Amino acid sequence: MHRLIEFIKRIYVILLFLLIEGIAVWCYATATPYTESKILARTSAMGSAISGAITDVRNFVSLPEQNEELTQRVAELEEELQRRDAALEELTAESSYKPIVDSLDAKFSFHPARVVAMTTNRRHNYIVLDRGRESGIRKDMGVITPNREFVGTVVECSEDYSVVMPLLNTRFKIGGRLVGSDYVCSIYWDGTSRYEVTAVELSKYAEPRKGMVINVESDRLPLDVKIGEIKSSEINASKSAYSVELAIAAEMQNLNNVLVVENKDQQQIDELVSLFEN
Amino acid sequence: MFKNLSYIWMAVIIMLVQIFLLDELSIAMWLRPMIFPLVVILLQMEWATIWALLVSTLVGVVMDVSLGGSGLYTATLVPLAMMRRATLYLVTKRSIEPGDQTSVLSRLGINQLMAYATAMLAIHHTLFFTMEALSFAHPMRLLATIVCSTLASVVVASPIIKIFTQKIVSK
Repeated sequence: MHRLIEFIKRIYVILLFLLIEGIAVWCYATATPYTESKILARTSAMGSAISGAITDVRNFVSLPEQNEELTQRVAELEEELQRRDAALEELTAESSYKPIVDSLDAKFSFHPARVVAMTTNRRHNYIVLDRGRESGIRKDMGVITPNREFVGTVVECSEDYSVVMPLLNTRFKIGGRLVGSDYVCSIYWDGTSRYEVTAVELSKYAEPRKGMVINVESDRLPLDVKIGEIKSSEINASKSAYSVELAIAAEMQNLNNVLVVENKDQQQIDELVSLFEN
Repeated sequence: MFKNLSYIWMAVIIMLVQIFLLDELSIAMWLRPMIFPLVVILLQMEWATIWALLVSTLVGVVMDVSLGGSGLYTATLVPLAMMRRATLYLVTKRSIEPGDQTSVLSRLGINQLMAYATAMLAIHHTLFFTMEALSFAHPMRLLATIVCSTLASVVVASPIIKIFTQKIVSK
């Protein structure tokens, strides 16, 4: 104890400097969303070099399991592809009709990436991916798991890394659609459970039940990206809309490989939206 | 001899000039003279680092509150308090010797003092503009801002440093 006190006495100026500097940088970082995302991207890029090495080891250990999962997924995709090819052949043989699903899928491309750093225990969590601008990743692209479960949205990119704001961030909001219906809702995380998000403004006619699935409703992602399953629902005081608790589909605390989704028409869509807004 | 009361007055005037005059000037985006780091740079070198640290924090907070820096001024000024002695030694090869009766700053010639102040201002401006931009997307613009603003700060600071040598530190 005495030695510890002596040691602290010797370095207390440095400790005080680090404390003051830390507080000042924190104040600056949280002052505006720009500084927050920029500083987050920079510190994450530095931290990811360290945690990247740890993740490499962890990934190496879990390689057999991941290979099995990937093989399973490839098999499923092959089956899906064959089914679609068959359906396409049948339809084109019968008429000049071109299936909508073909054009829908073709407008998205998927960039595989690996999670090198992430947090799940804060209110403003983030995920760092090992792919950046050089790999074609851009701000606002959606991020999903290989099983098509929603993870988050890219908020900042450097050359080699990108930062994702996940569902588990109280500042994050996204639209959702009840599967099998046209009812949409708004989804956010209230910062309590790491396994649940809340969907609000779901029409009273939707009649949500436990086990029903809500997918992402966004022009940046394909239609079949799952957000989660309904655990419970509650109608609001005016009896006009439901508030729903969703169990998050993606295993947010065990993310390794993800897919960053690029909508090839996004620039056109953004330009049209900005024309409308202006 | 180091006249502490005169130094306090000088520090107050420097901060007021920065807040009400230099910060109001809109010459160009890449030309922003800043002289408030002089309060820390010219602080008595014999003082313990802890006091320099506290003074720099106080000045940084005042500038942040006055100019809306949200911590930027403090974050870039506090490191100067930790670098003063090392920079002085690197630039002038002078250090504080035990048993010295006079202030080390009073034993420096005006050229040496200017060189030391220029080096410290350059360090501060590099930290400040890099942290403000938070991006290296336009490195030449950033470099031009640092160099031009440092030169402008040195020009504005030189009469203050002369007054400092004549009125505050006497040999």
